[in-house]
Amino acid sequence: MSRISIKIDGTPVEVAPGTTILEACLSTGIAVPTLCHLRDVATNASCGVCVVEVKGGRSLARACVTKVIPNMDVQTASPRVMAARKMAVELLLANHPTDCLSCSRNGSCELQSMAERLNVRKVRFPSTRKAVAKDETSPSIIRDNNKCILCGRCVAVCKEMQSVSAIDVAGRGLRTHIGTFMDRGLKHSTCTNCGQCTVVCPTAAIVEKDETDAVFKALQDPSKVVVVQTAPAIRSSIGEAMGMETGALVTGKMVAALRKLGFDRVFDTQFSADLTILEEGTELLERLTKGGTLPMITSCSPGWISFIETFYPKLLAHLSSCKSPQQMFGALAKSYYAEKTGIDPANMVVVSIMPCTAKKFEAQRPEMQSAWKWWKQKGQKGVAPYFDVDYALTTRELARMIKNVGIDFSRLEEQTFDDPLGQSTGAATIFGTTGGVMEAAVRTAYEVATGKPLPNIELTAVRGLEGIKHAELDVGGTRLKVAVAHTLKNARILLDDIAAGKSEYAFIEVMTCPGGCIGGGGQPILPDRKKREARAHSLYVEDRNMPVRKSHENPAIAALYKEFLEKPLSHISHELLHTHYAHRQM
Amino acid sequence: MKKMPNKVDVPSVKSVISKHEGKAGSLLSILEELQENDVHKHLSEEILMQVAQKAGIPLSQVYSVATFYSFFNLKPQGKHTIVVCRGTACHTRGSRALLLESAAQLGFTDFVEEDESALTTPDRKFTLRTVACFGQCALAPVVAVDGTIHSHVTPGKLLKLIQKIQKEESR
Repeated sequence: MSRISIKIDGTPVEVAPGTTILEACLSTGIAVPTLCHLRDVATNASCGVCVVEVKGGRSLARACVTKVIPNMDVQTASPRVMAARKMAVELLLANHPTDCLSCSRNGSCELQSMAERLNVRKVRFPSTRKAVAKDETSPSIIRDNNKCILCGRCVAVCKEMQSVSAIDVAGRGLRTHIGTFMDRGLKHSTCTNCGQCTVVCPTAAIVEKDETDAVFKALQDPSKVVVVQTAPAIRSSIGEAMGMETGALVTGKMVAALRKLGFDRVFDTQFSADLTILEEGTELLERLTKGGTLPMITSCSPGWISFIETFYPKLLAHLSSCKSPQQMFGALAKSYYAEKTGIDPANMVVVSIMPCTAKKFEAQRPEMQSAWKWWKQKGQKGVAPYFDVDYALTTRELARMIKNVGIDFSRLEEQTFDDPLGQSTGAATIFGTTGGVMEAAVRTAYEVATGKPLPNIELTAVRGLEGIKHAELDVGGTRLKVAVAHTLKNARILLDDIAAGKSEYAFIEVMTCPGGCIGGGGQPILPDRKKREARAHSLYVEDRNMPVRKSHENPAIAALYKEFLEKPLSHISHELLHTHYAHRQM
Repeated sequence: MKKMPNKVDVPSVKSVISKHEGKAGSLLSILEELQENDVHKHLSEEILMQVAQKAGIPLSQVYSVATFYSFFNLKPQGKHTIVVCRGTACHTRGSRALLLESAAQLGFTDFVEEDESALTTPDRKFTLRTVACFGQCALAPVVAVDGTIHSHVTPGKLLKLIQKIQKEESR
């Protein structure tokens, strides 16, 4: 392909046709400042910060959307360009609150850092915007339109990546704002609480609902036994959130930090991930042999659950009845573990650390009070209902807590999880990335169904960041077709096939977020593919380093069945570990 | 979700959609026709929900379009509409006084002008609204009463027009 010759700041440059000025500049080491633009997410050219001067052009060009043409002569830092950029930021600041010092994005705000980068020292324009109320209807996500700069990234992820479109640009002129239908708030919209908008928002206009104060309060209350569980994905992202390199694998330091914070027991959601494999694998084998609804679809990802409940309620029978690992853990902590140790479950506070904002919603689903019901059935009386999981914190909230108390994270000595709910396998670790639940399920299902060891433990066909992955498995002579999808837009494709009667799969894994939980809505902000790859890679490294890599070989799970649950899909496991779903059609 | 009384039969929404569906910008035509069919010349929440559901368009997008165009009313409109132009030419020739006088005549006490004000009397006889510019600047100030544009309007002229309609309505 012939290349195009252009000049950038007087230097000749050759680039491929179709390149934007922004990309061409980057290739020569000039980082044109951008604010609304986010690669692979949104390019709305709304902020006007990336302007450059093109010789012969009447107005300045927006580098993010303008494609190069032969002999283009670009000036990236002329006086006119510098003045226009500064003014674009000044105009945004004129309509922006000035509470930076107490803002939750203080230090991580792109508008703030752009003002600093462009040396904006005064704002010449008076504010014209009226204060509007925050949208605090959602249990997961808070929207504050006062801080919105209308970059459109949230609308893009909600529409393009997730095909949910809970939010869109509403109104016109000065009243333009990001809104839900009738501005009723996220809770009353099709929002799945996935939180992808919170990781792409450049300011504090969309943030997770912060529950760190409530958790600190529980930790400081001597009458409470505070138990923490950590999702698989956290071990490859909390280090990053604490300033270490992207994807840093910090399982031992994370455990140490949680102990320092004062958690009484440091357990692992991976324990209940292993348990999920046994329950879900058995459910799949039952559906296959007894003619149940197929394909069966995984149910670990709460954004995905809200999505199918909202958009495809007729297909709910395809969902596994298994609760997510977070909820299985909470139900067991307050029943099995409480009984075993004599801790009063009403005094136990279960906190989970999740890469996810939808987990906050999931924890508060009214049906998630299984432990309380179980104790009630055992004859306990007069105890007010409590949830199985009390607080679900995101990776970002945990990082905030660690910084808050002054723990020097990177220097912590590695520690190990408490027993027994801290024991897990490599199969559970890879739950944190797309394809991981499928791979973990195959490791167990194959051996349970055939009684023989799996020839190759690593199912590479379902690894990687491709949107939809397929594999065909030979399980003791039976051929099984399986599929893996991440992001809800990809899930929708598989669901449409099921609805049309065209699906050829027996088992489907769906994760809500790009890359699975490692790209979750509760993860460190500003995601990109490289970050997701690094985090996923670390989980596969951890898997290889684990002494046990198959869920059914987890000794603590074997003990749990022996002492308490009897067998997968037993009566008691149905009470504590399985659930039902609701129609949420708008 | 709040259930709203079903004012318009479902088939009519459906038929309006199927009439326009598939064409570029069909959502605009659909909303335009449905608003025209409505007694109070507005798009109710219930109608917007039906459009989204039956046309397979996200609710947020229907809302986005309905709130972008000033033509669409999300609130019930009065039987008579008075539109005062607040463009620069009309403003310099006294349209603010026209707006305030009409507001007073229609009983909107404590009226404060906002950008794109639109107020309807409780009896739904009158809606008073402003517009940024009619494009009739040479005739400034202009006021549209029930679709008819009146030029070089004075407060006295406008009050007479309004009083005339009020008299007819009270008969």
